[in-house]
Amino acid sequence: MKQPEEFSEFEQELAQAMSAVDPPEGFAERVMARVQSPAPAKAKVVRMQPRVLPVWLSGAIAAALLVGVYTGEQAHQRHQREKAIRAEQQFDEGMRITDETLEHVRLQLQQAGIPAGE
Amino acid sequence: MAIANDEFRRLIEAHQRMVFSIALRVIGDYATAEEVAQDVFLALHRSGERLAGEDHIRHWLRRVATHRSIDALRRQTHRPEADAEEWVEEMDAGTMPSGNFALHARLDDLLRTLPEPMRVVVVLRYQEEMLPEEIARMLGQSVASVKCHLHRGLTLLRRKAAVTMKEYVRETA
Repeated sequence: MKQPEEFSEFEQELAQAMSAVDPPEGFAERVMARVQSPAPAKAKVVRMQPRVLPVWLSGAIAAALLVGVYTGEQAHQRHQREKAIRAEQQFDEGMRITDETLEHVRLQLQQAGIPAGE
Repeated sequence: MAIANDEFRRLIEAHQRMVFSIALRVIGDYATAEEVAQDVFLALHRSGERLAGEDHIRHWLRRVATHRSIDALRRQTHRPEADAEEWVEEMDAGTMPSGNFALHARLDDLLRTLPEPMRVVVVLRYQEEMLPEEIARMLGQSVASVKCHLHRGLTLLRRKAAVTMKEYVRETA
């Protein structure tokens, strides 16, 4: 019934490349084990497991993240406070210079006999 | 009554290559193919009393393996054609037939790029050497539809092979 002689060269190459392959080692044993187990549920196959971190390492990473976030927040708040103090100092300095300038102008106007007004 | 253990073990050993190869080539994923192949044999064990004769069992296994592989392929959220390189790594020299390993691996890669209906008929035609009429009966399709999938699948494979093999020759030169 099979007619490989009717195949073209490409088809013959394809048929040759598609010869049956062996299942993984221990396949028959795994099937037999499933048949003999009282509740043959899911197939047990050799499969790459996703990498799972140990609990302690996950905890350590979480703790490090928390400490990092907390430290970052603290640093940010300190920076904001320092910025506010610097701004306050600059404001005071500005006010002091302005007062001195106004006082100087007031004295000069007084010397020139011009009333500065209240 | 189910099949006796000794007889069942003999049936697994006699047909495991065929069942696993259909699953692997249709699904394209090694682990899922084994899972499906195991399920096919379990189904055989359960319905063993209704199957008589080696030919009957062979046809039954081929049909169930094909349909379950198609179902598994449709369930996959990511299609195997995306990880063709992984396929080559999975198929180490120990599991490959003798001959030109690279050529075989390339053809399998190309096969995985075919859409499901074409891939299934190509596997059944060239791996199982089934006639289009037999494939049509198994899949519940018309012979014309099977021939059309086969023709389109072959054309696609030939076109892709022309490009890929040229690259392969360049790489190995």
